[in-house]
Amino acid sequence: MAPVNLSHRRTHNLLLISKLLSLRDTASPLTLVLDSLEQPATPLLKEYIRRAKLSKVHVTLIAFETLKQPERVDAFVTTRRKSSAEIAKEVSAVYQAVASSNPSRRRLILIDSINPLLHSRRADPGFHLPSFLGSFLAPTSPSAKVDTSLVVTYHQDVPEPPQKSPYASSPLSLLTYLATSIITLHSFSHILAQKAARDRSLAPPVFGLEEEQEGVLLGRLDKLTGTGAAEGIVIELEHRRKSGRGVLEWYLLPPASRYSPQHLKEIVTLLDDSILYNPPMERDPGAENEEPTSTFELGLTDKQRRDREGVVLPYFDAQSGNGPGEGGRILYDMGEEDDFDEEEDEI
Amino acid sequence: MSFRKRNIGLSPGVDRNAVSNTAQPAPESTPGIRPSPDDGRPTTSTGTRSLDNLLAGHAGLPMGKLLFIEENGTTDFAGALLRYYAAEGVIQDQKIHVVGVPEQWGRTLPGLIGSAESLDEKRSDRRKDDRMKIAWRYERLGEFGAVAGSRDGESREPQALSFNMLMKIAPSTPGEQDPNAKEAPAFCHAFDLTKRLTHPSITNMSFIPLLPSKESPFAAILKRLQTAIASSNASTVHRIVIPSLLNPTMYPPESSQPEVVLQFLHALKALMSAHANRVTAMITFPLSLFPRSSGLVRWIELLSDGVIELCPFPHSADATATSGAATSQEEPPQGMLKTHRLPVLHERGGGSDQNVGQDWAFILSRRRFEIKPFSLPPAEGDTEAQDTAAAGGMPKKSDLEF
Amino acid sequence: MPSQPPLPPLLAPYVSSLPDASLTLVSSILGATSNWLVLRFLHAALSSQPTSTFGADDLPNGTKKKVVLVSFLRSYEFWKTEAKRLGLDLARLTERHEFAFVDGLSELFYAPQATAAPTSSPGLGSSPRTTLPLRSPPGAVLGRAPQPAAPTGPPGNTAPKQAEPGIAKKLHFSGRGLASLDAMEKDVASVMEQQKTHMEEGDELILILDQPDLLLATTGPSMGIGATEMAEWITGLQQHAHATVLTLATDAPLIHNSSGLGQLATPIETEHAALAIGLAHRARSVMQLRTLETGAAKDVSGVLRISRGGGLSTENNLEEREALYFIQRDGGVTVFGRGES
Repeated sequence: MAPVNLSHRRTHNLLLISKLLSLRDTASPLTLVLDSLEQPATPLLKEYIRRAKLSKVHVTLIAFETLKQPERVDAFVTTRRKSSAEIAKEVSAVYQAVASSNPSRRRLILIDSINPLLHSRRADPGFHLPSFLGSFLAPTSPSAKVDTSLVVTYHQDVPEPPQKSPYASSPLSLLTYLATSIITLHSFSHILAQKAARDRSLAPPVFGLEEEQEGVLLGRLDKLTGTGAAEGIVIELEHRRKSGRGVLEWYLLPPASRYSPQHLKEIVTLLDDSILYNPPMERDPGAENEEPTSTFELGLTDKQRRDREGVVLPYFDAQSGNGPGEGGRILYDMGEEDDFDEEEDEI
Repeated sequence: MSFRKRNIGLSPGVDRNAVSNTAQPAPESTPGIRPSPDDGRPTTSTGTRSLDNLLAGHAGLPMGKLLFIEENGTTDFAGALLRYYAAEGVIQDQKIHVVGVPEQWGRTLPGLIGSAESLDEKRSDRRKDDRMKIAWRYERLGEFGAVAGSRDGESREPQALSFNMLMKIAPSTPGEQDPNAKEAPAFCHAFDLTKRLTHPSITNMSFIPLLPSKESPFAAILKRLQTAIASSNASTVHRIVIPSLLNPTMYPPESSQPEVVLQFLHALKALMSAHANRVTAMITFPLSLFPRSSGLVRWIELLSDGVIELCPFPHSADATATSGAATSQEEPPQGMLKTHRLPVLHERGGGSDQNVGQDWAFILSRRRFEIKPFSLPPAEGDTEAQDTAAAGGMPKKSDLEF
Repeated sequence: MPSQPPLPPLLAPYVSSLPDASLTLVSSILGATSNWLVLRFLHAALSSQPTSTFGADDLPNGTKKKVVLVSFLRSYEFWKTEAKRLGLDLARLTERHEFAFVDGLSELFYAPQATAAPTSSPGLGSSPRTTLPLRSPPGAVLGRAPQPAAPTGPPGNTAPKQAEPGIAKKLHFSGRGLASLDAMEKDVASVMEQQKTHMEEGDELILILDQPDLLLATTGPSMGIGATEMAEWITGLQQHAHATVLTLATDAPLIHNSSGLGQLATPIETEHAALAIGLAHRARSVMQLRTLETGAAKDVSGVLRISRGGGLSTENNLEEREALYFIQRDGGVTVFGRGES
């Protein structure tokens, strides 16, 4: 791709992800995070919480699978044995309590996993996914206007239950339709392995559940990841702008250990800018392959090269003899022990 | 190939356990029950000697365990195993509970020939009198002289195994008679499928019919089993026989609901663990109706202590050409047998038994159900070389070393 | 081969330090069961010194951990016998309120009749024995057999306090849907709270749930219980414990049938996969047991892969690795990397 194009993309799309993750300008009211066991959403949710805390956004976690309130989360709503209406009510209540003291008027609502709700067998006749999600976003009272961003995690590898009505759309397609941004997560090491395979025109490898190996739930291993070099999450972002235009971009979020929680500058980079994904190609591609790798220094310095050129080979010397027959002759005296065969050897 | 498993009884694990068990030479108190050579737990015979020997070194089905036998296709080899199992129980005066089939089933039990040993003796021309006069390690060498040229050595192998193990359990009583000989009531018997079993205690079998009921059809069965076992004498040993579980001709359609059949098996497991030392069970199951790849069948297997799958070969008139007979003198195998789980061994983690992962073939003849290692047939014309190699008079080095 | 330490060194960090509110998932398949690993968790928690050898649990000094084991597929007898091989005397630990066993096997679906005849033979009774049962002669074993046949009163969730030694509570399933789960949750929670009354400040209560997936398989959506309800049930119990260890089956038919588009998955498969994968998303670590891909080997029982789960709340610095394990006939276990022995 043209470098101009890339830098343009870099500027725009990095601004976009920065805005989305930092919840600025309510760029995306409903973000859907699609994760899997191979790349859980945990690090991304932590990044959301980190940024929210930096900009003093009120964070609510609706916990379908989290047991204890994580650090830096302002409100923790458990969902065990609660109907969707009760959950919505409680989520609204926890903010009402602090609404007056919270100056920023922004709040982030995280759902750690929507699957249990979709999977629930409980008789909850009033449950309607769009209105359930909408109830969080809609202003509860006209006086307290807040900008709410909802981030919903959906585990892609958890099988969906059969539909109650065969004509209804599946929950996943409904979620992707409703969402303003869809983030699909990939493990960086898997992306690298798949790219390496594609570059060689091989079938890309699969990991974890997709291996369909009996007894294997997770394919991730530190050994596969390497020691730190390929850590990080690949974020595949599909964003629908207010204008209706779509943006698709791949990003890389480095592991949380690489930066301090107070870090303010943008840490997310484009995947294409990653050295590991797109190795730099500054040197002449042909030149690299000429020298075999060895522990010996096989190259020559300029001086050595000059000296080498200065060496006069014996062959040239011999040719400068006078007259025919003089040059290039081997002078040898037959010894007693030489068994000279006239037919075979000729000097 | 035929020498490969001669040292089967000498694995280090067995040795160690055997040593630890020497303190208590186990006395025989209940007929048909003997301690496992592996860890001394009580076992009983399945009525099929080669199946006994397959069960992870226990040389029998450990008490309190449930063996689940699956069969592919339309044949009924598993039914034969089940009949042997029931017949063995009758001979041993154990109480048999048969689920779901009418009493005619009891009349199809195979007739008794004698102890499984006597059948083996006959087959191998073994001179029993001479056997104890020489130490067992030399006796093994003697085999080569006595029955040279016979490939029976392989089929006799399991017996040598259990014999060796018993010898190791009670080495402190050198003057004692052959434990096998002392066992006046034999542990395992041989039966003839073409004859009918006549035994005084055959009338003692109880048949539990499947009655139509509103709730689970198994509830009544469990209740009867529970009452029968709990109210019986503490020394009575029970066998639960369930032919062709979930077969739609016998079982109502709702019985294949997971909550019905799995609850039954769980409760059966509970019942058996409550009376762990006097109940065993064997279930056969048609895989052609319920494939192994389904979650329901996998749960049934997970609830069983032992899982064995029979894969009969397709019928063929020209049997020797298609099947895996090692030589033309041997009967051709009728199918493959796979062990997916073995009692006790897998409960403790699994894996380390020599029998696991081996390919087995089975042969059902009139007088025996034999399980032996499966080997592909040699190329045509090479049988001679195979024969001489197998029957070679020289014992292998590994046979001489201990 | 020398006698193995009860806890293989390679395994020790994974089974002994379980952080607060963490879930450890142990997955097994038909040919590679998890009982041995559960025993290692028991040993790590209950053995007074982590590096001690046999018999060292006699020392009275303070263990910091207590365990409640809920087992749906194995009897107390089994756990007691196998724990003894590791030098753990569960009967004594029960008396000292360090261990409690909740029986999810014997009376879960069908309680024995109250009219059961008293069958225990004189002399031997059903007292906890100090010798290994499997080494006792079969005659004695026979006499000891019918112990759990004791009358237990009317079936239902109001079972009286069990007279049976070693078993804190027997679970009963009755009715359908959430109510039946709630009743069982109350039973288990009461045992856990009972244990807590014997705990001092700083002690940790570890809950081991052995194959609760059986509950899901034997009930299922038609009885109003699905993966979500089971997961909530587990969450409810987790709230009483410091850390939770949970075993379940991950056999291919139970996990992969529901992901393939080619065939219609049965509810038992979909629900099981949803539960297993959903729990893996919540877990701090997932210890996966499977058999060797290359077929059986004489000195390898299976493969253990330890991976990080997707859990949010815990700081996860667990090192992932894959190792082979071998279970000897005496119950000892070696865990080693590929190519080592």
